[in-house]
Amino acid sequence: MKDDQMDRPLDEWITDAAQSYHEPPEPPKEAMWQALQNHRRARHVIPLRRGRWVVWSTAAAAAVAVLAIGIAIGMGLQTDGAGNPVVAVDPGPVTGDDRTASTALAITTANHLAQTETFLSLFRDEVRSGDRSDLASATARHLLATNRLISDTPVTADPALRALLADLELVLAQIAQLSGDSWEGETDLITDGLEQSAVLTRLQGLVPAGSARTGSSL
Amino acid sequence: MTRSITGGTAEDRQLVAEVLAGDAAAERRLYDAHVDRVYRLAYRLSGDPDLAQEFTQEAFIRAFDRLETFRGDARLSTWLCSVATSVVFNGLRKIKRFRQREVGLDAAAPQAAPRREADPDLKERLHAAIDDLPRGYRAVFVMHDIEGYTHDEIGTALGIRPGTSKAQLSRARGKLRQSLAAFAGGMAG
Repeated sequence: MKDDQMDRPLDEWITDAAQSYHEPPEPPKEAMWQALQNHRRARHVIPLRRGRWVVWSTAAAAAVAVLAIGIAIGMGLQTDGAGNPVVAVDPGPVTGDDRTASTALAITTANHLAQTETFLSLFRDEVRSGDRSDLASATARHLLATNRLISDTPVTADPALRALLADLELVLAQIAQLSGDSWEGETDLITDGLEQSAVLTRLQGLVPAGSARTGSSL
Repeated sequence: MTRSITGGTAEDRQLVAEVLAGDAAAERRLYDAHVDRVYRLAYRLSGDPDLAQEFTQEAFIRAFDRLETFRGDARLSTWLCSVATSVVFNGLRKIKRFRQREVGLDAAAPQAAPRREADPDLKERLHAAIDDLPRGYRAVFVMHDIEGYTHDEIGTALGIRPGTSKAQLSRARGKLRQSLAAFAGGMAG
């Protein structure tokens, strides 16, 4: 109110001159529409298909192989030569081995969640500080693969964990797709998504700092 | 509140519903209806064609991604404007940070010299004064006095109250008057 009464418009000559401030040209509508469509199409062909192996670094491949073996043990599965899980035909009656398998799976899952929490925290901090790491998308791809393997195990009987793994899949897939061109815009979307889905908080709830929980919830 | 003025229209809600239902033609209609305004704002705030294009694309990508969050409390154009201003400010902040890292180069080069040596005319002086406004003042000034947004629209877009928008505009104008005082005096004399 006060401002309305106290304020007065700028002199006409100033207002007129201001119209040429960053005077926009004709917008490149078609070019922007095409770019928009390309971006959205690219997003919809996220390689979410199971069994598709992306390019792995040697170290990451080794880490994932170890996790896969843990998962396989947990599922009562066997792995083929390449470390891909192979479904056991008959899991058989509950035995002492089942308890071992369950523990192995719980440890593997806890490790995965702890690694993912660390990764997402670092990623979020990098985005906030304006830094960017070209390794982020590669790391996300590795974690995404593990996430999918774990999602197929009996741990997903836990609704909270199942929901968390699903949210993690989305976030990791988004980071995995980051490239030089898309980095600037996408990272804000991703970190917004992290906040909204409280992924980090939920991760921290499942994996208290400094300890990999192997309790029944996993 | 001024819902009757700023609230989303039935057409807005219909269009959004069609887009959410996967209607590609509706998507294009939404884009065509609002792209000029979004681009104009992005350009006015960034002053760079490439950035304006990038920010506009990003604004629409975000808008389509989050369209289900549009509740119709404001007009679709205002909601899009709020998405766009967020994209532009975030983008400009990152660019500023990036440029600050090149401080050595900036410090070494007398970058402002050409402009000052050129004895700037009114427009140059005014544009420089607008550039020098604090970000919030500049946004409100550009949106209101140059692009013709209402204070209600600006308030919604920037997440501030309309009264705050008015106050910021008043201060922005005051600063511009101050910056141009010598020049205006010269003109008058």
